[in-house]
Amino acid sequence: MKYDVIVIGGGPAGMSAGLESARNGSKTLIIERNPYLGGILKQCIHNGFGLHYFKEEFTGPEYAKKFISMVAKEPKLDVMTNTFVTGIDGTNVEIMNENGAGKLTCKALVLAMGCRERTAGNILLTGSRPAGVYTAGEAQRLVNILGKMPGKEVVILGSGDIGLIMARRLTMQGAKVKAVLEINSTTSGLRRNVVQCLDDFGIPLLLNTSIFEVVGKDRVEGVWYGKVDEKYNKLVKTKKFMKCDTIILSVGLVPETDLVDMPLSRVTKSVSVDNYLMTEKDGVFACGNFLHVHDLVDNVSLESAMAGKFASMYAKGKLIKSTAFNLVSGAGISYVIPSKVYNVEDKIQIRFRIKQKVTKTNFVIKNAKGELLAKKYVLASLPGEMQTMEIDGKLIKSDITVSVEGL
Amino acid sequence: MTKDIYDIAIIGAGVVGVSIFNDLARCGVRVVLLEKELDVSTGTTKANSGIIHAGFDAEPGTLKAKLNVAGNAMFPEICKRLHVPLNKCGAYVVGASEDAVDALILKAKKNGVAGVKKLGRKELLTLLPSITENIKYGLFAENSYIIEPYFYTICLAEEAVINGGDLFLGYIAKKITKKAEYFVISDGKKDVCAKCIINSAGSQYNNVAKMLKAEQYKIEYRRGEYYVLDHSEKDIVTSTIFPLPDKMGKGVLVTPTVSGNILVGPTSYVSEDDTKTTDFGLNDIRQKVSNMLTNVNLGKTIRVFSGIRSVIGHDFVIERSKKVPGVINIAGICSPGLSSAPAISRYVMQLLGVQYKPMANCKRIKPYTRLSDMSNSAKNKLIAENSDYGKIVCKCEGITVGEIKDAINRPIRPITMDGIKRRIRPGMGRCQGGFCNDKVAMLIAKENGIRLEDVVKEKSGGRYIVGNVSSKGVR
Repeated sequence: MKYDVIVIGGGPAGMSAGLESARNGSKTLIIERNPYLGGILKQCIHNGFGLHYFKEEFTGPEYAKKFISMVAKEPKLDVMTNTFVTGIDGTNVEIMNENGAGKLTCKALVLAMGCRERTAGNILLTGSRPAGVYTAGEAQRLVNILGKMPGKEVVILGSGDIGLIMARRLTMQGAKVKAVLEINSTTSGLRRNVVQCLDDFGIPLLLNTSIFEVVGKDRVEGVWYGKVDEKYNKLVKTKKFMKCDTIILSVGLVPETDLVDMPLSRVTKSVSVDNYLMTEKDGVFACGNFLHVHDLVDNVSLESAMAGKFASMYAKGKLIKSTAFNLVSGAGISYVIPSKVYNVEDKIQIRFRIKQKVTKTNFVIKNAKGELLAKKYVLASLPGEMQTMEIDGKLIKSDITVSVEGL
Repeated sequence: MTKDIYDIAIIGAGVVGVSIFNDLARCGVRVVLLEKELDVSTGTTKANSGIIHAGFDAEPGTLKAKLNVAGNAMFPEICKRLHVPLNKCGAYVVGASEDAVDALILKAKKNGVAGVKKLGRKELLTLLPSITENIKYGLFAENSYIIEPYFYTICLAEEAVINGGDLFLGYIAKKITKKAEYFVISDGKKDVCAKCIINSAGSQYNNVAKMLKAEQYKIEYRRGEYYVLDHSEKDIVTSTIFPLPDKMGKGVLVTPTVSGNILVGPTSYVSEDDTKTTDFGLNDIRQKVSNMLTNVNLGKTIRVFSGIRSVIGHDFVIERSKKVPGVINIAGICSPGLSSAPAISRYVMQLLGVQYKPMANCKRIKPYTRLSDMSNSAKNKLIAENSDYGKIVCKCEGITVGEIKDAINRPIRPITMDGIKRRIRPGMGRCQGGFCNDKVAMLIAKENGIRLEDVVKEKSGGRYIVGNVSSKGVR
């Protein structure tokens, strides 16, 4: 079978990209390593999904199901599950599944492999290395997919959304969640999750606090923890012991770039793209949490649909490129996507994150001469929240900069 | 009641105990190996640099020097026999002092180490462009290898078992009684009788010596902490790079590993007998390595770990006990213990008065199934026979269901998650098992016919899960 477009990954990003590519008339294949589509949504049994995309609130599996049934009905869209991509060369992919190892070719490739969790090793967690240390996603899979409890007395390190969700989930299953420790002065998760998952259950959130040492021989027996300064130095005098049998790490996500041979951004830890979401390799597109870690799945679906559409256009030879200009992160901006833009007829969607909390200010986009091209007012915004703006492609005639006004 | 009496019982299944176990079993000696943990190779043997040293560093005239050089020469043949990957990557020693380099070269000569040559900064720069400006002189030793020490030890133990050696895992010796003709070792449940006992209990040496009423030694524990870097860094060095040694050991080295990672470490400081990692140690390594090489990015760390070496004075202790006839004491096997292990075994056989003469009909172990080493056509042949070889469990290392099942159904069946990891690598990659731990645990449960709740990470009390979610829960 010959495909115009191949999408790697059958999570929310891959499904949305695949659908949009097929709807634009390209013969499309989604490759998924799990036996089912839906990716991480399948284990996110809590609600809060779809408010933006469907204007209705769903659980993760419900949100996935919406897309899975659309995929099933799409005549030009095929799905290959239980299949691993073991290599990528241009737009060719090497795959392996229970039928064997082989190669597939296509005209345009969409990278929608999502992200993985940072581990104890990544954050140089010190002390002993007993059983009982899990990443939040692993613990979530154990509880929600396998119906198994990782432990009974839990300390959560990091206040990422999955960590917060797991604090509530484990509490509801009878575990004692003793505290959530966050090394920074603000949580990295959404505000609504802090309220609904910690505050409502009386779980303490300890800011500027981290684990100093894991204790335990066979299984975790507790942690030495305490305050850190702004440079994350451990303040030894504040050291205290907390008994627990389980440590759950919710310390950040990293795009799954294993198979990609391209330079990676220091901030997003992923590839760079232009306004078509095309990487620096011709015909290779990127979207979803693979491209940058999103706050809401709704944003993943929206962004990935664009990638699917542009991949389909590329496969048909209809993607128009002109002179490339740089889109740069200005004052107060930690990263912006895309990083390369063309002068085009259409509107261009821009996604970015800010470095620090802001209130009552404008996000501004300016050209090289300092002329204002677009502006957006915000009442209050946190670094964890993804920002989107639109800019008229016709106005792009030089490098442009996004920044927080007044910084 | 007649007792089944072994010729020799070995206590402690690290690389030294297992090497002796292997030689004795293949020579047809009635031998039993007792190990308190649930797998072989779980102590010092699993947590070191994984280097088979050439032998230029050991003090001439010591057992260390003699056994290191002899052991080094034995590895290629043993590894070939066991199908264990051994990579002759060579080693550099680099530093500022020409005198110190010359002293090492002189030691190499005295120890009978061939293939060592001196290098100046200019030559070093072409071979190792990432050295810092502190580095003025160095040497290159070609007979330096890298190996997975745990995998090597597991394969040695498997070979011993299929040749008639008995292995008792999870056997915690609690009492040893001397009878007229033999010793009785007891764990409170099962007695093991043997005419001779070899104490190769590593960091636990004194505990066993006490039960035997044999010589005890003042053991200094030295902790060695390490960083493991991602596969993405695998090309930063292709040989082992040592700094010039100091009185605490060989110093913080950077080495490739057989599995395509980079190892940076170890520290060497006096500690308790535990394998924790510390901010102190990790910072120490960070600082030391930056004095030597400019291209080591510790931001690419996927794992930190530490191991304990037992140090007694300046040499190994390998002797017949003077206090208790029939007992062999092996203690203080710090570096170069791994490199010396095959030669230690032969030396112990001499002490025992057993001639090394393998049985004519010795059995060989089968190689582990490793799809990553295969061509697509070979993979497809295997997958056509059994679709389990097409189902990837560990995405980081590309390990399939079939490979894991094969690793479980071996002469020594691993029952722990770390045991599987040491054999076939799921969980050793960049996600550190976040994606595959549950799948590996389920395979262990299924293949061994035990409950998921009873699967442990490494130690008997280290369960992976503690129970089911309550019936009021999700389902």
